Amino acid sequence: MSKKVSKPRSISRRRLLATAGAALAATPLGVNLLRAQQGPIRIGMSMPQTGGLAGGGKASLLGIEIWRDDVNAKGGLLGGRKVELVVYDDKSSAAETPAIYSKLIDVDKVDLLFAPYATVPTAPIMPMVKQRGLLLMGNFSFQVNSKVGHDMWFNNAPWGPADSWASSFLDIGQKAGGKSMALLAADQEFAQNLAKTAREVAAQRKLPVVFDQAYPPSTVEFSSIIRALKATKPDIVYVASYPPDSTGILRAVNEIGIGDSVKVFGGGMVGLQFGAVMENMGSLLNGVVNYNTWLPEKSMYFDGTKEFFDKYTKRAVEAKIDPLGYYLAPFGYASGQMIEQAIGKVGSLDQKALAKYLRENTHKTIVGPIAFSADGERKETAVLQAQFRGVVDKNMEQFRSSGKQVILFPDSLKSGELVAPFEAARK
Amino acid sequence: MTRNSMAFWTGAAVFLAAVFVMTQVVGNQYPFFAGYVILQFIALAVAWSILGGYAGYVNFGTSAFYGVGVYSSVFLVKAFGAPLPLQILAAAAIGALMGLALGVLTLRMQGIFFSIATIALTIIIETAITNWRYVGGAAGIQIQRPPVTAPFENYVQMLFFVQALLVVLAVAISRYIQNSWIGRGLQALRDDELAAECTGVPTLRLRLLACVISGALLCAVGAPAAMYLQYADPGSAFNLNYSVTTLAMSLIGGTAHWSGPIIGAILLGTTQQLLTVTISSEVNVLVLGLMLVLFVVGAPQGIIGLVGRLRGKKEGGA
Repeated sequence: MSKKVSKPRSISRRRLLATAGAALAATPLGVNLLRAQQGPIRIGMSMPQTGGLAGGGKASLLGIEIWRDDVNAKGGLLGGRKVELVVYDDKSSAAETPAIYSKLIDVDKVDLLFAPYATVPTAPIMPMVKQRGLLLMGNFSFQVNSKVGHDMWFNNAPWGPADSWASSFLDIGQKAGGKSMALLAADQEFAQNLAKTAREVAAQRKLPVVFDQAYPPSTVEFSSIIRALKATKPDIVYVASYPPDSTGILRAVNEIGIGDSVKVFGGGMVGLQFGAVMENMGSLLNGVVNYNTWLPEKSMYFDGTKEFFDKYTKRAVEAKIDPLGYYLAPFGYASGQMIEQAIGKVGSLDQKALAKYLRENTHKTIVGPIAFSADGERKETAVLQAQFRGVVDKNMEQFRSSGKQVILFPDSLKSGELVAPFEAARK
Repeated sequence: MTRNSMAFWTGAAVFLAAVFVMTQVVGNQYPFFAGYVILQFIALAVAWSILGGYAGYVNFGTSAFYGVGVYSSVFLVKAFGAPLPLQILAAAAIGALMGLALGVLTLRMQGIFFSIATIALTIIIETAITNWRYVGGAAGIQIQRPPVTAPFENYVQMLFFVQALLVVLAVAISRYIQNSWIGRGLQALRDDELAAECTGVPTLRLRLLACVISGALLCAVGAPAAMYLQYADPGSAFNLNYSVTTLAMSLIGGTAHWSGPIIGAILLGTTQQLLTVTISSEVNVLVLGLMLVLFVVGAPQGIIGLVGRLRGKKEGGA
């Protein structure tokens, strides 16, 4: 019986190459290398497309989509890789986002993460991205990183330091001779955060707060509150309200009046930035000094801003969203621009390197230069305080021209002076 | 132990063992995040069904109990750094008291009036929490998870297992109630409260008992959610969605048997999770609405009722 003795197998060159090739393809590194050659760069996010935040979420998303299309038209990033967005609807709810972001990270394996619009859906994913060491581009959330302390978080919103919002408004009021403040705030996350900082700033400046009231978000009738406020004769009225209440408050003020003592009125009224609300309120807006993020004043046009709004205006009609889109959309675009510049400079998708670049440099965007402080918020506030002037009823197009909202703050972007007192400015 | 019980407890043990093995073997986090939400809804639907199904008292206050569960955890973590088991036990105790209060306060209410009272309960509690600055008030609160306990490597995996335990507990209680004198009493109460009272069923005691048990379970299910989200705000914690979804799950599954809510919750919960990451737009709300309408029209007794009817037909034909 002869045993079959097999020859020691020599590895042919072809087999060696094939094995090495297969091994390379199977390793994560290989996957990355292969993907680098043809696969798109995938950016994952959730975005409120139903529920209370949907209006803002859709406008914000359109801004990001316009950026994606612009980048891809230019030939993509990292030598020809197209940008692809992976977007899920979080229903404006905090309960949905942890699962969605886990899907984006673990199943879809996206390359980069953008945060959803607003604070509530963003808050639950902050600890998650911190734990995993992932870069997150924030989208208009408010002080969401202050307790988490994630060093790879960058908020596109112009908020800046927590107290700057209240300080800028109170500066305007005090310059106009204001010596006391009334505070009216919705019992709601964003408004309460504003009210808290306003109280702190007032205390620092020893500015007496003569009226301080929170009202439930479902309030529709404000005449009794406005009467009580008027009776305290304040000089500065700081209002932190949400879209339905903002209109309710202005209507009550229009009916009852607010008294001659009031120098400035407004500050933190959400809703007066949205085209539909502005058109609806018309001349009732005159005189109100309110925050904003972008306005069609001369000082606000940077490289690419005009082109962006040309595209937005066209696409907003198809998407049936805010025809003006000043508040959120350009900042969504700016998030994309920042990532684009970072990837371009770093030359890879290495999250740590991208974060380092974002933290250490000033970035050119369509909403102006952006630089971040250590907590990932803007180094300096770029929240505008602007006064409505000469607004007429039922006309959306008027808000596209300059001069309807005169910028009073910050000084670098200023386009006019305050008209005070409030009652005089209303006429 | 009867053969039925043997089968049930074996099933429960196998389920828990499978969940445990899953937490040890599966590295991908997404199944745990999504699975947690589905398990949470199973537990909620089963707990809801004790009062809403067996006793026929339609409770729209699921979100009130759930939110109180969330916020009792938030409070305990912030004040004492309490561990997870303590959070759940405390939430259950608070939920039991809340259920008792609800039962006592609505003694004379039946049908739609009871349901309206439970909605009012949600609004009252949400308003109270909104104005309670210590637990974050309207602005919400971020909380940090403590380090995870062995043998789990990840907090979400642990929460997934804890929620599975709560599901088994809720189902076991619900099953016990259905098969015991309590269930028969509740059924009599649902069919005709007056007639039941006249024939000697202690309706008041039974009703309070159902409120207490259901409330304790609903609250206990809410407790781990604070750690799951690491964030709580009144708008999310007391979202009316929990009430509506839980109710829909129980009705779609069928409330006549303890397994009905489980089937409904798995079906609806999984569909919701899938739709979130597939269609992901207004359409998913529409799909859920259509499902509800179809079931209400086509199977008013839920899936359990439908299966029973089909079986009955078959037997009749044979």
